Amino acid sequence: MREIRLHGRGGQGVVTLAELLAKTAIKTGLEAQTLPFFGVERRGAAVKAAVRLDHTPIKIRSQSYQPGILVLMSENLLEIGLADGLADKAVIIANAEKPLPIARHQWLLDAEIIAIKNNLVFGGEPFINVPMLGALCRVLDLPFSALEETLKEQWSEDKALPNINAAREAYDTVWDAGVPKEEKNNE
Amino acid sequence: MTKVFDSGNVACALAVKDVGVDFVAAYPITPQTSVVEKIASYIAEGEMDAKYLPVESEHSALSAVAAASAVGARVFTATSSQGLLYMHEILHYAAGGRLPIVMANVNRAINMPWCLYVDHQDAVSQRDTGWIQLFAASNQEIYDSVILAYKVAEEVQIPVMVNYDGFLVSHSSMPFETLEQDKIKEFLPPLDPPWRIHPQWGGTFGNVTPSEEYVPYRYALTEDIKKAGDVIVRCSKEYEKLTGRWHGGHFETYRPEGAEYFLFSMGSMGKEMEIAVDLLREQGIAAAGLRLRVFSPFPEEELAALLPAGAKLLVFDRNLVYGSAGGALLQLAKAAFFNRRDSLQVIGISLGLGGEDLPASVLVAKAREMMEVCK
Repeated sequence: MREIRLHGRGGQGVVTLAELLAKTAIKTGLEAQTLPFFGVERRGAAVKAAVRLDHTPIKIRSQSYQPGILVLMSENLLEIGLADGLADKAVIIANAEKPLPIARHQWLLDAEIIAIKNNLVFGGEPFINVPMLGALCRVLDLPFSALEETLKEQWSEDKALPNINAAREAYDTVWDAGVPKEEKNNE
Repeated sequence: MTKVFDSGNVACALAVKDVGVDFVAAYPITPQTSVVEKIASYIAEGEMDAKYLPVESEHSALSAVAAASAVGARVFTATSSQGLLYMHEILHYAAGGRLPIVMANVNRAINMPWCLYVDHQDAVSQRDTGWIQLFAASNQEIYDSVILAYKVAEEVQIPVMVNYDGFLVSHSSMPFETLEQDKIKEFLPPLDPPWRIHPQWGGTFGNVTPSEEYVPYRYALTEDIKKAGDVIVRCSKEYEKLTGRWHGGHFETYRPEGAEYFLFSMGSMGKEMEIAVDLLREQGIAAAGLRLRVFSPFPEEELAALLPAGAKLLVFDRNLVYGSAGGALLQLAKAAFFNRRDSLQVIGISLGLGGEDLPASVLVAKAREMMEVCK
């Protein structure tokens, strides 16, 4: 089973991201489950969601503690993400320009830039859930064609197009930052 | 049959749409969940031909569907937690009135203190209201249970509550299959109640009764709800023939072959318990899963008959019977064995309250603790 846990803030579309990832995985023949966790149900509060992918029906009915992939919608969610636990060999996918100060395998992208370039700005805020989804599908080795199909089902043509473009750009440009050396604290 | 990937609440709303409900009343604000929001949108978009009445409280929601049911409409409402508690008075009315109402209850903790997450205290508190109570553990089971609930309610003229766990199932998306409306009609013919309030037919409904009329009425309800257990199993089998889908009768058993310990639970925990049973079997312990689907009427004869000689029942309650050693399932299981299977050991705990998470590792640890006490 592959377990992914996503961390974001209320209003960023984390739950939608989880749903779209699961729907994409199902198209490749996998079983899927999403489990969002709502904290205090307020905009701006930290939100998380788990996605589980497997070859057999998923019986788990509990939270995610050891995900193999941790997705951070913002680098300032790193502490929150780590506090909830992750698997020993977990990979982090983060919306960040530079590697995060932790000795964990990371894939990075600047999701805001991609959102702005592709007109995914609403109410002055770049919407980064679809760029993050594109990056996540790449790291999970899910074919882009399956993701494109999911996005076309989700939105009508004119609305789907910028999302497909943003997802494509993220899919192609998310980069493997490897395992950075842990930053020494000299104080 | 359409394959869908969506939440438990959408599975519930889709079943309500596909069944052909005439009238839905609901209080649309917290602790309500997205079930009625989805139904309201089906009706607004013209996908569902029903009247939707948003009301100012759960007490009014159930009152409104009770009235609509009494004039012969097929009705639905949904609630959760405090909302169910606020309905308590009308729950009795609906069952006493023998109204075939179907209601979804998303199981969530009750106040105080305030808590949003899953447990079964809301539904367990309504045990003695004369409602049939089903518990589903997957989105497919929710969809199928709603259809089953109408079939059973309309046959026995007793309202049915379909319970499923808050967030862990209600907001979790899983794949499930729907059923064509003509196939549903084959299983569930249009509602034709034996009586209804109608301006052209004289009669009263719910008038004052002397005890000699009241008493047989009450006994009829308790006898009929007892018989409803078999109706649920028969209808589940009929549904299986139509769809190939089976979630169990009174119970869903998991790996019962040669089992010594039966891990008894209800709701989503019962699905996670299957993983716990696999882990215990790997450790050489002959464990089986026993997930209760029909909480009311509690299948006491069936439970007593199900366990092999020397078996031990480990009860996992997601509720509390205050001041007792465990929860409602423990009490009911003990009562089921008393004078029937007195030699069987029963032990239980309450856990998972207010969304306390229950991964399989925790269930295994709790099961092993109980096994130590059994020795």
